[in-house]
Amino acid sequence: MTDKSRSIDDIIVDPELKGQFKQLVLERVGVMPDTLQIAVGAANFTKQELTQHVRQEDEIGKQVMEMELEFLQDLASGAVYGNE
Amino acid sequence: MAMNKPMLITRPHYDVVTNYLCSWSESIITLASEKGRDVYDLKGDKAERVRFQSYCKAKMPALLFLNGHGNADVITGHNDEPLVDGSDHFGNSVVYARSCECAKRLGVKLVENGLRTFIGYTRKFIFGYLTTKITRPREDMLAALFLESSNLIVSTLLKGHTAQEADARGKEAMYRNFRKMIASTASYEERYAARWTWGNIKSQVILGSPNGRV
Repeated sequence: MTDKSRSIDDIIVDPELKGQFKQLVLERVGVMPDTLQIAVGAANFTKQELTQHVRQEDEIGKQVMEMELEFLQDLASGAVYGNE
Repeated sequence: MAMNKPMLITRPHYDVVTNYLCSWSESIITLASEKGRDVYDLKGDKAERVRFQSYCKAKMPALLFLNGHGNADVITGHNDEPLVDGSDHFGNSVVYARSCECAKRLGVKLVENGLRTFIGYTRKFIFGYLTTKITRPREDMLAALFLESSNLIVSTLLKGHTAQEADARGKEAMYRNFRKMIASTASYEERYAARWTWGNIKSQVILGSPNGRV
């Protein structure tokens, strides 16, 4: 999350922009290898399950969106290369 | 060998996630024993509240290494039984909790209750694993990129360093793994899972005294 106290709904307020970002996340989740699963909290998810959560924008789906947003922002700002 | 400054570890294993955490904690138990620590290992169904409280009271562990599910208010043990909540008092101990969102409120409350140091996560602890390795978690080199670096927090503490050093070394190891995972030599799975490592690095925090040591 860009701001640890804020959810994706607060970070991207514009519905159109949020819809576009959701589509981007769905595309990014869509290329997750089938041989990979993710453990998020008390549950583990396949690519298909993760896609479903993002589509529904439930708690897990929102967390995935927040994580993707933070990662992309840090990638763009160069922060991911700044810890050398 | 002199036995001192006990370590208490909880590691339930009743689903895929807890099986991974349990398996990857094994090396820490070995290290703690080699370091001459008394180790109290609440593994599997032994990770239940009554037993946990009894060990905490009787053995007064200097280090608590908590693995399991949880949320901002509790860390759970076997079959999701709440093991630790905000009413607990751990005195002068150092706690490392590999559990979701535990630093959001629970860690803060424990420090308010007198705990010396708490290291944990403000968001969900995330790791990736390979579907081909579910029954053999220790052979899963993708999961290793997440779990070995978090183990480093505890091994650093066991070697006598401060909580601040342990927190930093854990993050540095995660970051090294992150760089490895985004390199062109990484597998597709590693490259994809790199973003999750980044999330863990950013949500790991230290609460209470950074000078806590065990």
